[in-house]
Amino acid sequence: MTIALPLISRRRLDRQRLQDAAFRGATRLFAVGVLVLLGGIVVTLAFSAAPAFERFGWGFLTSAAWNPVKDDFGALPAIYGTLVTSAIAMLIGIPVALGIAVFLTELCPPPLRRPIGTLVELLAAIPSIIYGIWGLFVLAPFLQLTVEPLLIDTFGQLPIFGPLFDGPPLGLGMLTGGIILGVMVLPFISAVARDVFLTVPPMLRESAYGVGATTSEVVNNIVLPYTRTGVIGGVMLGLGRALGETMAVTFVIGNAHHIRLSLLAPGTTISATLANEFTEALSKLYVSSLFALGFILFVITFIVLAAAKLMLLRLEQQAAK
Amino acid sequence: MNADITVTAEAPRPATLGRPVVRPQEPAVVAQTAPKVVIKDVRFYYKKYEALKGINLTLHDKRVTAFIGPSGCGKSTLLRVLNRIYELYPGQRATGEVLVDGRNILDAGQDLNLLRAKIGMVFQKPTPFPMSIYDNVAFGIRLYERLSPSELDERVEQALRRAALWDEVKDKLRQSGLSLSGGQQQRLCIARAIAVKPEILLLDEPASALDPISTQRVEELIAELKSDYCIAIVTHNMQQAARSSDFTAFMYLGELVEYDETETIFTHPREKRTEDYITGRFG
Repeated sequence: MTIALPLISRRRLDRQRLQDAAFRGATRLFAVGVLVLLGGIVVTLAFSAAPAFERFGWGFLTSAAWNPVKDDFGALPAIYGTLVTSAIAMLIGIPVALGIAVFLTELCPPPLRRPIGTLVELLAAIPSIIYGIWGLFVLAPFLQLTVEPLLIDTFGQLPIFGPLFDGPPLGLGMLTGGIILGVMVLPFISAVARDVFLTVPPMLRESAYGVGATTSEVVNNIVLPYTRTGVIGGVMLGLGRALGETMAVTFVIGNAHHIRLSLLAPGTTISATLANEFTEALSKLYVSSLFALGFILFVITFIVLAAAKLMLLRLEQQAAK
Repeated sequence: MNADITVTAEAPRPATLGRPVVRPQEPAVVAQTAPKVVIKDVRFYYKKYEALKGINLTLHDKRVTAFIGPSGCGKSTLLRVLNRIYELYPGQRATGEVLVDGRNILDAGQDLNLLRAKIGMVFQKPTPFPMSIYDNVAFGIRLYERLSPSELDERVEQALRRAALWDEVKDKLRQSGLSLSGGQQQRLCIARAIAVKPEILLLDEPASALDPISTQRVEELIAELKSDYCIAIVTHNMQQAARSSDFTAFMYLGELVEYDETETIFTHPREKRTEDYITGRFG
């Protein structure tokens, strides 16, 4: 038996159904829109990069040439610079960020916990152009006059590490870029690390202290192994950021298309090359080569971020168990 | 027959028929073993809140003392005072004296790591470390002793045997401690606690998350470990307290209501509140 509804209520029901459908459609549109946009960017990148890849083939990845006059381009110096600066950034950023996270979760007096944590996070709020200016006018001269001569004198003659600290102290180069990136990735890694450190069950921590372990023993043997995947995920997020960071690096990298073993030598990164050269790219192949660089960067960061997400997901599953 | 007799009938019963009206705070039969832990007027504060309101109590060596009482009565808190694990949390503090072998461990000069190595603690839920079964047990030993690999092997085996776990894990010592069942994990934690050769064992509801069979094994284990340690156990399980302890302390709202031999507590409690609690009238 059907229930007879008064007319007014049925009209109201129809309206509600319509509203609901419109709302559902709108939100779905927004969500799908982002995916379409992402797909569109990838397709555009690929299409614009196609001429360069057609012309140079896989050789584009291994060629060190960058000659706009002869229309001969290769991605290797930019890839090399990107990887080296990011590696330096990680070398500096990871230990410091983990140290901050350990301090905040294990040692910091509670009243200071929030202020210090917020200050570290505020590092991420500084626009990268500011980092660039600071790098160019403060950090680079300081490195050139103080740190780099010291490095050259100390390590320059060593058999294995020597070549890494060879050449004149210019102030601008891969080391400077890497240091700036290290500072920039700090807040990302330390924020994630702090959050995952807090997922360690208090009882587990107490058990470790309970057998007489010191804070450093608890951190090294319990907290870090327990949160390993999460910490690696955070590091990957930082790495993704370091790989793609443009402005600050462009200011201090030196923008030289060559591969030098010395960390003090100027170099370039993919993003710095793009930022510098699109305005002056005249030939079609030049533009296409820049797009191809962009495509390579996209692939690298995509892989890194996907790996990061995967690790964080695994940690969540582990925590759920 | 006459008025006098009627009056006598309403007077307190003679001592031989019931419990004595006044009992000392200390159990009568304590002389069997030495006092290991003497707790004197211990008060505990979570910030401003007073969770322990002046506890006086003596734990005896080679005896099991059970702490019972409703949730929030302070029994776990008292345990946490004994190894000062509460110090991990700012805002928590204890006053009074806890004398372990005559030394006040609440002294500011007390080395906390050394204290905790001497006092093993096992928690409500098993807390295996994220490492192999072997490393779990070896963890505490490695912190304080430099042993050759074969000596270490021996100590690990000893602890696992003591915790009645050896036969179940001897072929998979390199597997993760997390791969064990809940009951096995708890015995692993007990093995880990006794591996460092502590003098006192604190068990905070060690069987509450376990199934009946695992619970029984843990209780058997406690009975066996008693010969070597001074054991304090917090439990919500009356039968468990009655079965496995020599002394029982009943706590309520941060106070020690009654402390006596377990048999006395469960058969002739002196206090009405104790009787009500153990017979299940509240709590």
